[in-house]
Amino acid sequence: MSAEDVRELRIVGFLCNWCSYGGADTAGVARFTQPTDLRIIRVPCSGRIDPLFVARALLNGADGVLVSGCHPRDCHYAEGNFYARRRLEMLKRFLPITGIDERRFEYTWVSASEGQRWQHVVTEFTRRIHELGPAPSFNPSSAEEWANLALHEATKGETCPCHGA
Amino acid sequence: MRIGVFICHCGSNIAGTVDCESVVEIASGFPEVVFATDSMYTCSEPGQDGIISAIHEHNLDGVVVASCTPRMHEPTFRRAVERAGLNRYMFEMANIREHVSWIGKDKEHNTRKSADLVLMAVEKLRRNRPLVAKSFETVKRVLVIGGGVAGIQAALDCADGGIDVVMVERDQSIGGKMAKLDKTFPTIDCSSCVLGPKMVDIAQHDKITLHTCAEIESVSGYVGNFSVTIRRRATYVDWTRCTGCGICTEKCPSKRSPDTFNEFMGTTTSINIPFPQAIPKKAAINPDTCMKLQKGKCGICAKVCPVGCIDYEQQDELINVDVGAIVVATGYDLFDWHKYPQYGEGRYPDVITALQYERLLSASGPTGGHIKRPSDGKEPKNVVFIQCVGSRDRSVDRPYCSGFCCMYTAKQAILTKDHIPDSQSFVFYMDIRAPGKGYDEFTRRAMEEYGAQYVRGRVAMIYPKGDRLIVRGADTLAGTQVEVPADLVVLATGVEAAQGAVKLGETLRVVPDQYGFFVESHPKLKPVETNTAGVYLAGACQGPKDIPTSVGQGSAAAAKALGLLSKAQLESDPAVSKVNLSRCVGCQKCISTCPFGAIKAVTDRFGNLKAEVIETVCQGCGICTVTCPQGAIQLEHFTDNQILAEVNALCPPKMYVNFE
Amino acid sequence: MSQLEELKAAIRGHLDSLDCVIGWEEGYDPLHATPLFIHTEADLDRLNISPLAVHNLATYATGFKGTKIGIVVRGCHSRSIIELLTEKLIERDEVVLFGLCCDGVVSQRKIRAALPADPGFVEAVEIGADELEITIAGEKTTLKVQDVLADKCRICAYPDPLLADVLIGEKHAERPNDVGLACQDDFEAKSGAEKLAFWQDTMSRCIRCYACRNVCPMCVCQDYCIAGSRDPLWMSQENTPAENFMFQMIHVSHLTGRCTECGECERACPVDIPLMLLRRYMNKQVREVFGHQAGITLDKTPPLLTFQVEEARIKERDW
Repeated sequence: MSAEDVRELRIVGFLCNWCSYGGADTAGVARFTQPTDLRIIRVPCSGRIDPLFVARALLNGADGVLVSGCHPRDCHYAEGNFYARRRLEMLKRFLPITGIDERRFEYTWVSASEGQRWQHVVTEFTRRIHELGPAPSFNPSSAEEWANLALHEATKGETCPCHGA
Repeated sequence: MRIGVFICHCGSNIAGTVDCESVVEIASGFPEVVFATDSMYTCSEPGQDGIISAIHEHNLDGVVVASCTPRMHEPTFRRAVERAGLNRYMFEMANIREHVSWIGKDKEHNTRKSADLVLMAVEKLRRNRPLVAKSFETVKRVLVIGGGVAGIQAALDCADGGIDVVMVERDQSIGGKMAKLDKTFPTIDCSSCVLGPKMVDIAQHDKITLHTCAEIESVSGYVGNFSVTIRRRATYVDWTRCTGCGICTEKCPSKRSPDTFNEFMGTTTSINIPFPQAIPKKAAINPDTCMKLQKGKCGICAKVCPVGCIDYEQQDELINVDVGAIVVATGYDLFDWHKYPQYGEGRYPDVITALQYERLLSASGPTGGHIKRPSDGKEPKNVVFIQCVGSRDRSVDRPYCSGFCCMYTAKQAILTKDHIPDSQSFVFYMDIRAPGKGYDEFTRRAMEEYGAQYVRGRVAMIYPKGDRLIVRGADTLAGTQVEVPADLVVLATGVEAAQGAVKLGETLRVVPDQYGFFVESHPKLKPVETNTAGVYLAGACQGPKDIPTSVGQGSAAAAKALGLLSKAQLESDPAVSKVNLSRCVGCQKCISTCPFGAIKAVTDRFGNLKAEVIETVCQGCGICTVTCPQGAIQLEHFTDNQILAEVNALCPPKMYVNFE
Repeated sequence: MSQLEELKAAIRGHLDSLDCVIGWEEGYDPLHATPLFIHTEADLDRLNISPLAVHNLATYATGFKGTKIGIVVRGCHSRSIIELLTEKLIERDEVVLFGLCCDGVVSQRKIRAALPADPGFVEAVEIGADELEITIAGEKTTLKVQDVLADKCRICAYPDPLLADVLIGEKHAERPNDVGLACQDDFEAKSGAEKLAFWQDTMSRCIRCYACRNVCPMCVCQDYCIAGSRDPLWMSQENTPAENFMFQMIHVSHLTGRCTECGECERACPVDIPLMLLRRYMNKQVREVFGHQAGITLDKTPPLLTFQVEEARIKERDW
């Protein structure tokens, strides 16, 4: 990503300490160039990643969230990524009903030795987020929108697709 | 809080692409940061002294270092802040080298990203709290599972180091696969002459308790304090009185027991001592073939036993033992070659495995050390060896190399010539893998001195012709098809994980890989450790290994166990889960997802169920924290609030804007 | 004997051995029912099991832990009980289940839509076989029960209790358990931007009263919901759409694989937020991925509390 002409977007990464954080280190040691948008939060295990952390980040306005852990069967804690896979898959499937683009969230597995794979994952995910552009804000982003909202609240109507019927 | 921030240049490693001075300036404005500076090498002695003096000078109670990966220097800096009187957990690192300066050249972006990472670290640190490790006693005893050469070595090293050892072996005698071998490569020395004395040492060492015919029933507890239950199968012989005289085995009329020690080449008596050098040299009855146990008739062994040690009523026995460390040395099993149609699937008696051939070569084997082929007892003249039977073959899900087959095949070719000077050996091979000390020279000797003919190619089929077998295969170097008449075909069957390894792994919480071999903690730096503290691996249970490597690993595992137990007390990592009792509703979901059994249910004084973390068992993964819907169980140092603080630092929530 | 009398007799037979039996009675007007806590035979007289008796009484079950109670359950309510038992949140020997084979309950929203705006006090409700006759200010309105049936009842697969100690009424023939709702499909078919706009708009209406949580039988954190705690501090108290939606995300997350689709959250919402859109959608995902429906049998582990080494229906995305 050429840095001069593209505005950085806000991408949050949650990485397990033992595999993916190590993989990101390996990529660094090997000087594998990556886009700079991603900021990494280090957690002990992908099993520590509450899908609600991802939800929180997306509602706070993150443009993308990337989760990475050890490959299945290689979890340092034996089972953490197995639980993580179920939790994160359900989050991924939840997003479409909310209208938040599920492509803004991805989870994958990268081992400590896979520096090249990490570079590939970061590059691809960042490219995807840039294609999607900045995430629409869930909250109104201007004073005018807030005002409209307040007005709407005062005159709220029947908006439910079921209840109207 | 009073936080100090230290930005490391790492020479030019960081400063080359990050404007460290700007990061210092930005960081100075972060909440509760009272001091920020940069230094050339923060990890160096002057760098660490700089942190310590700043802590004293500015009365800091928390430190952020932005430098390399915490996987490298977090312990270093924790010790530094500890030397200055802070708790080691009042420290955070921002990785601005591997994750910033080394992966991008844009200084502006890198500088901004570095500042963000520092802000995240500061926000997390603001929610850290001092954590103190707990010390606990350990049981000075080691359990060794498996009595093959790796386990024997581990047990002897531990016992010689002054630690009690309990050895558990599934078979009737220790010795493992090595006890079945005739000679060993590359020295052609006698296997039982090398191993025998070590087996005797096991029996005689006053620090070693040996349980054979025994398996692990259950394991609970944690590093330093495991409780193990061993199931000892009924042998129907009181071993405290059995002298191993062997009269019972001579008189036993039932000779239908499969002879496992001789790799099923023939049968043996129901009451049996597997081989002359067996340790312990005690008789045991095979209940499946014993006429007394099956039909209630016979009882000859009880009549002839001079010490009256036969006990047809004996039951399985459960033995409980507490140990501080566990060495797993469960070895391997052989690939079932009958899966290959091209080798006859067992239709031809003169197609045997290399381990069966080893028994034919052995003076204590079923043929007294004379090579006689199974079909008609004739001495073979042409012996064909086929390598990689169940190794390096994706079609049977065995893509790995079994490692030592090339070597024992060369050994057996040499021994064949020694036994039958007018014989000719042929070896079908894929590649010759002989990377050990003296190994390549050895395979060359087999070819050059002993005239073994090596044919590079796979065997397509074996078919009978008269009283011989024809082995048809490819010679890929000559580019032709070859047919070799054989009197005997020996298959170099590959190595598989031992039967029951996966189940034992579950009991021990040691993960097997997809082929059932146990996974070590780190493939290079922690080859005998597992991810369960206090459990070590030795020998082929971790992957195929020859004898010297297995022995080396046995010693390595023993050294790890001795090192662990040489400390008066162990310290537990305090970054473990903690239950907020008032928030816990006792639903026990955390107990069901904990992979380590580290959470137990307790009843509080009002009779309510609550979760309780066994701190020394908890490994700090945090699965429970995500499981708990009300956030009652929090992983210390990675609490919800700490991670949320990092999220909020990166993506500040959009609040109501000021309308005015 | 009518079903009501049959139920009363059954409860009467158990009353001595129970601390309390929970059923329904007429509420503040004849059109609305309210939960009834039966301690004495005299209380029994007020029992009402008409289609107006809508509340999922399983919600009270965890609060009575340690005592022995009876609960009147319809089909969907029994699923909540089963899920609570599966999760060891209640003890089987502490509840006696009086099961009703259920023909559906009404949606007060649909009744309200069918009546004139601000109709005034409801004087009387006559409940016939398939009609409701509502009297307001002397004026009678007749509604077909079918027309005002709750959505969940229109697609209900389990009208008969799946677990009961006493079963009242005739069992229904087996029903398909994959019937969809047109409005659900319509909503799911909307574009991402439309859905986002819908929730932004809807969430601006949310007053964060937590009625959806308080009425949910599976919300068992009691006073310790993370939406209202400082440690952990998941949410601010700011009443913004994002913050309100964060709460709904917490509820969805905590219900994944556990929701028994009783519809109480949506029923209780005072500002008509169609929360069942989220519930039905997520339950469909859970069924697709894990083949699991909450509260059907007692021997299934909730899907997020277990795993398979190879997940047959999770497609790992390749990079």
